[in-house]
Amino acid sequence: MGIYGKPLGRRDFLRGSLAAAALAATGSLAACATSGTGSSTTSSSAPAGQVSDTNPFGVQSGSTVDAVIFNGGYGIDYAEFAAKQVQAKQSGVTVKVTPTTKVAQTLQPRFVAGNPPDVIDNSGAGLIGINTIRDQLAELNDVIEAKNYEGTVIKDTLYPGVMNPGTFDGKFIVLNYALTVYALWYSASLFEQMGWTVPKTYDEMLSLGAEAKGKGKYLLGWGKEAATYYQTMAIGSAIKEGGDEVRLALENLKPGCWSLPPIQDVFNGLKKIIDAGYVKPGGSGTQFTAAQAQWSNAEQFILYPSGGWIENEMKSQTKSGFKMTGAPEPVVSSNSKMPWEALHSTAGEGYIVPSQGKNVAGGKEFMRAMLSHDAAVNFAKTKLSSTIVKGTVPADGFGSTALQSQIKMLESAGSNIFSWNFVDLYGMNTDQLVVWNSFLSGDSDVAKLTKGLQDITDKVAKDDSIKKVQVS
Amino acid sequence: MTTLTSGGLTSGVSAPPGGLRRFGSARWRRRNLTFDKISFFLVFLIIPVAFYIAFVVSPFVQAAYFSLTDWTGFTPAMNFIGLSNYAKLFTDSTFLQAVGNNVLMAIVVPLVTLALAMFFATLVTVGGSTRGNVKGLRNSSFYRVVSFFPYVVPAIVIGLIWSQIYDPNSGLLNGILTRIGLEQFTSFPWLGDARTARWAVMFVIIWGLVGFYMVLFIAAIKGVPAEVFEAARIDGAGRFRTAVSITIPLIRENVQTAFIYIGILALDAFVYMAALEPGGGPNNTTLVMAQELFNTAFTKGQFGYACAMGVVLAIITLAYAGLVFLVNRIFGGKSEVGE
Repeated sequence: MGIYGKPLGRRDFLRGSLAAAALAATGSLAACATSGTGSSTTSSSAPAGQVSDTNPFGVQSGSTVDAVIFNGGYGIDYAEFAAKQVQAKQSGVTVKVTPTTKVAQTLQPRFVAGNPPDVIDNSGAGLIGINTIRDQLAELNDVIEAKNYEGTVIKDTLYPGVMNPGTFDGKFIVLNYALTVYALWYSASLFEQMGWTVPKTYDEMLSLGAEAKGKGKYLLGWGKEAATYYQTMAIGSAIKEGGDEVRLALENLKPGCWSLPPIQDVFNGLKKIIDAGYVKPGGSGTQFTAAQAQWSNAEQFILYPSGGWIENEMKSQTKSGFKMTGAPEPVVSSNSKMPWEALHSTAGEGYIVPSQGKNVAGGKEFMRAMLSHDAAVNFAKTKLSSTIVKGTVPADGFGSTALQSQIKMLESAGSNIFSWNFVDLYGMNTDQLVVWNSFLSGDSDVAKLTKGLQDITDKVAKDDSIKKVQVS
Repeated sequence: MTTLTSGGLTSGVSAPPGGLRRFGSARWRRRNLTFDKISFFLVFLIIPVAFYIAFVVSPFVQAAYFSLTDWTGFTPAMNFIGLSNYAKLFTDSTFLQAVGNNVLMAIVVPLVTLALAMFFATLVTVGGSTRGNVKGLRNSSFYRVVSFFPYVVPAIVIGLIWSQIYDPNSGLLNGILTRIGLEQFTSFPWLGDARTARWAVMFVIIWGLVGFYMVLFIAAIKGVPAEVFEAARIDGAGRFRTAVSITIPLIRENVQTAFIYIGILALDAFVYMAALEPGGGPNNTTLVMAQELFNTAFTKGQFGYACAMGVVLAIITLAYAGLVFLVNRIFGGKSEVGE
């Protein structure tokens, strides 16, 4: 019926269809739908291959391994290298390496259909939150207990603690392959030329800021997508200052965790630097690689907190003779619970084997190849970044000062190595970026920053639909 | 009525002459279900409807169902949890902020874009010299082509171009502003300051769309007989009066359609935001529902909750379309031209 009680006329019909078009245009709604929920029956992937020392997982000859690799900063050529190793060692096995840039979007339908790949490099901005799929992953203890291609038990070849970031509620399910050292990066040549030393506390940073200002340079800078690199540094500093108790409060989303004194001290130290005008303004509107180039190429600011990937990421935009070098994140006081040398280091590029995959044994064999000497050295050499396998980087760091300093930092840290998971585990980074951008640009203060971060934490803590991981 | 229409379509060929058509008789019905008729139904009715149901209706129904579950998006299994996703939604301050941002955009973007588009369309078609025939400004065909350029560039590219222009330290905008002596804009983060971000983003969307709607209005105005404008001019109507009293009422339907399309775009805006403000902007001032939905689904792994957001977005979009119809009715929809 039309509005004036006329029967449904042609025009009203056309109007209706326009409304339907309006509905159809809200594609976001339809995007939620699936292509059909597949059966939940697990394809019991019985490996028919003979289990032996050279084939510890019993990969079937003639089978195919379906590997989906994140094609990001590290590319996929190192994975293809490992694939060739598998094919050379296990006759008749084919490894199919598929690159992807959006892991979650690409693989979501395959998980729903019960047909996931055999091994996945779950990395990048579009990674699958481990919390959502951790029940569907194979435990990887047998991988690190197996012997590598050189005959050594893999567990004995790895850096200490590299299994921690991949262990959830006692189950080791994510093999993080690339070793990442978080540090405060600087140009060794510039520091030498100016006679500066690396600051070990926030007070030293403040006074270095004054010196840099005298030379027309800023102390720090940031880009809008990477504002939380400062959060990473702040948490690292606070854990060194206050010890494990700080880390556990954050990991377990404790009420008031952001108000702990060590965290507040770090925030106040940063705030002093921001208020003194030592942070290059405009970061909240700058794309992060552009901001990083202001440091590595234009040398407009002199310190940058980041992970060890920074050298590879800025390779084409680094001034020649820059001598990129890392130093441990600063502490607050001289009587911190952990020494300044303690290091925030974790492993990235999380490799997983879905337990519903057709060739679980093949997926594990692929990991075994990656953890063997040749593939690990190949990765270190071509990516200028260490894997979790020890002893693959020579003293000259393949000519890279950044890689040299990473190995040096790892050695001097000894067993004082820590990391945390809660930010990525609960997908908090997007929300935290907002708070950090306004803090770094000087628009908010320590109280607002603390409240903002606590609200984000509390929201996750109170949401019953989110599974929590207890950390101790 | 049905028989008349269908008879008009097919019986001219198939029905034999001479009073054999008896309504309701089995024979008549059988005779009319010719191959022509069945294939016609099939091609023009059944297949499209089947496609529509399979690819439009069923995903909608599915999404609406998922919004009542706790589905993570990566399992075949899910639990039915009733309306609790919706309850959560209305206390979720981030999502409510995104709704607010979208509503603001759905108000500002259509009004500004269409006003500008109408202004330019009038100039190009009837705003020229008041002597001689009704015509546009000199070189109007040149302006028409140039103004369409931004629309030819894909939205994502527009976003990327403007994110470079807005760059605080090396961007074109601050470069120009500081060069002419406005030193307060040194390193000013247009996209990173809560006061400017949303306006900067809306400007980009408007910039990208004015040309298209201008061309749409030009086509509509060209469909109005020139005598109407001539008569108005003889009666002494100026350019503004002509636009308000003649042009807009005569192309009312086009304006309404334009309002709906651009409003839907403003309620979505995902592509522009993905390029300009992927993180939701300073204090989430540019966060849109579609972005929050995407984050919730893919980075937080809460597809059920994300589907609830999708349902709310769809309802808001429909409500917007309904509002546009209503406003059109209130402001003289009765005297609609062509009804």
